[in-house]
Amino acid sequence: MPALEDEIKSLIIEALNLEDLTPADIDTEAPLFGEGLGLDSIDALELGLALQRRYGLSLSADSAETRRHFASVRALADFVAAGRSK
Amino acid sequence: MDPRFTLHQWAAWAPGLTDSAAWQDWFAAPCAVVGEDLPVLSEMPAMMRRRVERLGRAALQVAYRALQGAPACPAVFASRYGDMQRSVDLMRQLANDGAVSPTAFSMSVHNAFAALFSIARGDRSNYSAVAAGAETAECALVEAIGLLAEGAPEVLVVYYDEPLPEPLQGFSPPGEFLRAWACRIGPATESGIGYTLQAPVAPADVDADADATTAIPADLQLLRFLTGAQASHRRVVEGRQWLWRRA
Repeated sequence: MPALEDEIKSLIIEALNLEDLTPADIDTEAPLFGEGLGLDSIDALELGLALQRRYGLSLSADSAETRRHFASVRALADFVAAGRSK
Repeated sequence: MDPRFTLHQWAAWAPGLTDSAAWQDWFAAPCAVVGEDLPVLSEMPAMMRRRVERLGRAALQVAYRALQGAPACPAVFASRYGDMQRSVDLMRQLANDGAVSPTAFSMSVHNAFAALFSIARGDRSNYSAVAAGAETAECALVEAIGLLAEGAPEVLVVYYDEPLPEPLQGFSPPGEFLRAWACRIGPATESGIGYTLQAPVAPADVDADADATTAIPADLQLLRFLTGAQASHRRVVEGRQWLWRRA
């Protein structure tokens, strides 16, 4: 799982153009949105698209479940591991 | 009486032309502007700066510099073509796989840079985004003069453009390069800069005038007048004559 977590961190940096960050700067457990990394709603959509492209996941736009999956890198990794089709 | 204004502060950026001294030299002896350098834009938090590409960085860089510590004021952002590269990229994405980048989509509107500028500074002053064909720079100033007439103590004008990308480059006016400039203007009670807009008088004069000035983009001809000491600047476009005067 750590490998997938690192892969997701790299994906976040690349998709969201976080020019100054490296995967090591992103805390696996910290919130991605609002506090923590400080991403916003446009980032959520962009990240959703990137996850769809990379892993073939399907996401529903505004469900409570999606919010849970996007809570942290750890939560995303669990979600990707369970639902990926590529 | 003509509406008049005075210039309080200005800034401009193009590759290799990053301060006012460099611009004054260039205005005196224009030459080809080339280079891949990127405005630093250290004034804007990195989390917002990541949303803009080179053109947006240039526009925002000069906006910050021209505002430089002054109180917030209304802003007029102006560009003939705006961030067309982003629009072309979006259309390519749409044609290729049907999904477009939400970030690119949100930043592709004409007022995107103005919006980012206001959000980054928590500034709720009004702003507008002008696109008025070949007369975009002139119309931006007219918009700003209108805001001054309505009582704004100052108005920030920001102009930016770059050559059109493939496959639209055939529509690009000649002599284009990436550039942005901004000026902060205020109302003038006595001496100041004013303009009149009328039908051209003598076609012969017009041609003589045009020959001397086609070498640099029209918006920069206007900036050269605003920041220099010429008594007047005349431009004829689409059958109209813009006459700017210092009085």
